[in-house]
Amino acid sequence: MKKHGYGIGNMWYGVGNTAAPNPSGAFVDFLDDGTVIVLSGCADIGQGSSTVLAQIAAETLGVGLENVAVIAADTEVTPDAGATSASRQTYISGNAVRFAAEKAREQVIAQAAERLNLPADNVSLKDGQIWHQDEPTGTKIQDVIAQCRSKGILTLGQGWFNPVTTKLDPLTGQGAPYATYAFATQVAEVEADTETGVIEVKRIVAAHDVGRAINPQNVEGQIEGGCIMGMGYALLEEVAVNQGRIENPALSTYLIPTALDIPEMFPVIVEDEEPSGPYGAKGVGEPALVPTAAAIANAVADALGIRLYDLPLTPEKIVAAIRAAAEESELGLNG
Amino acid sequence: MLEGGVVGQSVQRVDGLVKVTGESYFAADEKVPAALVLKVLRSRVAHAVVKRIDISEAEKIPGVVRVFTYADIPGENSYGIMVKDQPVLTDKIRFIGDAIALVVAENPDAARKGAEAVKVETEELPPLYDVWSAMAEGAPPIHDKGNILTVGRVKKGDAAAALSRADVVISRLYRTQRVEHLYLETEAGIAYPEHNGLTIKVSTQNPHYDRRDVARVLGLPMNRVRIIQTPTGGGFGGKLDISVQCFLALAAWKLRRPVRMLYDREESFIATAKRHPFIIDYTSGANREGQLLAVKVRIIGDTGAYASYGPATLIRAAVHATGPYEVPSVDIEGLCVYTNNPFSGAMRGFGTPQMAFAFESQMDLLAQALQISPLEIRRRNILRPGSATATGQVLSDSVGIAKTLAAAWEKACQVMPGLGGENQ
Repeated sequence: MKKHGYGIGNMWYGVGNTAAPNPSGAFVDFLDDGTVIVLSGCADIGQGSSTVLAQIAAETLGVGLENVAVIAADTEVTPDAGATSASRQTYISGNAVRFAAEKAREQVIAQAAERLNLPADNVSLKDGQIWHQDEPTGTKIQDVIAQCRSKGILTLGQGWFNPVTTKLDPLTGQGAPYATYAFATQVAEVEADTETGVIEVKRIVAAHDVGRAINPQNVEGQIEGGCIMGMGYALLEEVAVNQGRIENPALSTYLIPTALDIPEMFPVIVEDEEPSGPYGAKGVGEPALVPTAAAIANAVADALGIRLYDLPLTPEKIVAAIRAAAEESELGLNG
Repeated sequence: MLEGGVVGQSVQRVDGLVKVTGESYFAADEKVPAALVLKVLRSRVAHAVVKRIDISEAEKIPGVVRVFTYADIPGENSYGIMVKDQPVLTDKIRFIGDAIALVVAENPDAARKGAEAVKVETEELPPLYDVWSAMAEGAPPIHDKGNILTVGRVKKGDAAAALSRADVVISRLYRTQRVEHLYLETEAGIAYPEHNGLTIKVSTQNPHYDRRDVARVLGLPMNRVRIIQTPTGGGFGGKLDISVQCFLALAAWKLRRPVRMLYDREESFIATAKRHPFIIDYTSGANREGQLLAVKVRIIGDTGAYASYGPATLIRAAVHATGPYEVPSVDIEGLCVYTNNPFSGAMRGFGTPQMAFAFESQMDLLAQALQISPLEIRRRNILRPGSATATGQVLSDSVGIAKTLAAAWEKACQVMPGLGGENQ
């Protein structure tokens, strides 16, 4: 028999290292022709951090994304940005790049204000131009940079950011271990086959509070990838270790979800802006995966009326649990 | 501030085109003329002292250039992001897969034969394959300071008293498994001497940390070690640790020659960190209205042979153990324990997916006992602006869990036809 079930998984996740400093630094060079070089130690491992850092620099400097080059993760030329871990790079390195870009920007704005005889507070940079309040002035950013150079002024900024945290009391763990937290709710729908014990995940809704989505498609990509990884964690994956030896160190014996297993996924981006984040952003890399197995396990319990307490929820365990429950109820009836 | 710029836009990834066209060079694609190749001899036993290593036969094999052991490390023979407890090449074996010798050769075949020809004499120690035997009185210490690496505590209020007052108390034991990151690209890198120093191009999540520990192992100042991250085919936490970096560094620096190294899938499984298996003993208490009063949680994480990110995983697990709920009284303990198993470290979520499985199961069990819906019990307990966390941190801004719960439920009701009704 096939039984449907639904389950909720909530999660929270402190962004950055736990109760420990984890600063990131960046340099931003606003060049004569209005193009930009961003130097950051932040390693893009496929999650898209270089794109996000380029977007933050472009936004701050009022230029198109095509004008920004990010040089990342070369210790001889880029400042330390800490590890690509703890869902920290958008929040922490994003802030470092924003602060560095703001310093370069200040030089341009000061010169533009002087040149156009405007109060600096009303001057901004957008679309490659100098703006006065909500109006473009027609003066190009690169012309102002040329003017800076003629006066011997570099439009070069450095910035760094370390999230505000405290240590935890060693006995009670009391303190503020993170400057901000990401939140998420996932709802999973499963179909459980009571004969074979196979659990099919039909749908996952995943609502994630990321503060602000710098790149919504990247956020959705992280959420979908996380859900699939979480599904593997819930149902399939286990490094089998016997007497210290890994028995399945191969793709043929270590099972992960394939394209055939992937459910319909519905990412929902929630933006509850974080005031200390770059343009309000927090992080999403790990949160994407954190509640998935929990939601699936709750959906399986809902479907079967039987709850399992050991991950992964393999067909063997499901069938054994169904049999045990049946035997128990038979005993109950007879007794 | 002007809005409507490039932030908030789904722009194409800056590295998208070269990834799609295949122009992106991963570490194993790097062309390095005359590079030597490396092969690590790894232990086949889990716990032993190395008494003698004989490399003489191995070094006679045609194509083998050198064989290195622990005696050849120029600087400190230890690395680790949190605890410097892992040797590059070891004289004490702590898990099946520990690195004993590094063979440098002209070609992979010679490297493999060289590794097979190294003779290692060991004196075996009793292996500890589970956290209980590792924590037992009189257990042989895997590291000098004993087998309990860290104990993290989060305590607030009087959890025992609150649980005794609760209308419903749920206690369950949860177990989670060890898993592998399984990034498509296995660990790989190249290294070559350059400008009086050493350059390593490597697949990594952590280039500046790599520089610290490579400099430490070689005994070089940090400014003479350059780490360049190559395009990285996934990491998920598994490429935060040192893998090939110190092997590449040792060989390239001692021989003054370019070298390269690539783990095959089996070595990637055996020699790198896994997600921590947890044992979680979880007790929750709530009043009749479904309001959480207290939790008591004991978490034991098997960090295997080396610390890696184990202490960070267990303290994060303890700090997050309540879930995104306001719980007035907590008594939480997280233990990070050495065993002779493959080592555990960082993996996407750092202990929180394990905890979510436990705390969200507990929420459903409480709801069931109190005959309220899973949705409603969560609504009644979620963190809100002004809430205090288990560590006593009062949250003010960007506490989005009420919004995600509402948004997820609304979307789920639209796309999951069977949902709704009694579930609400």
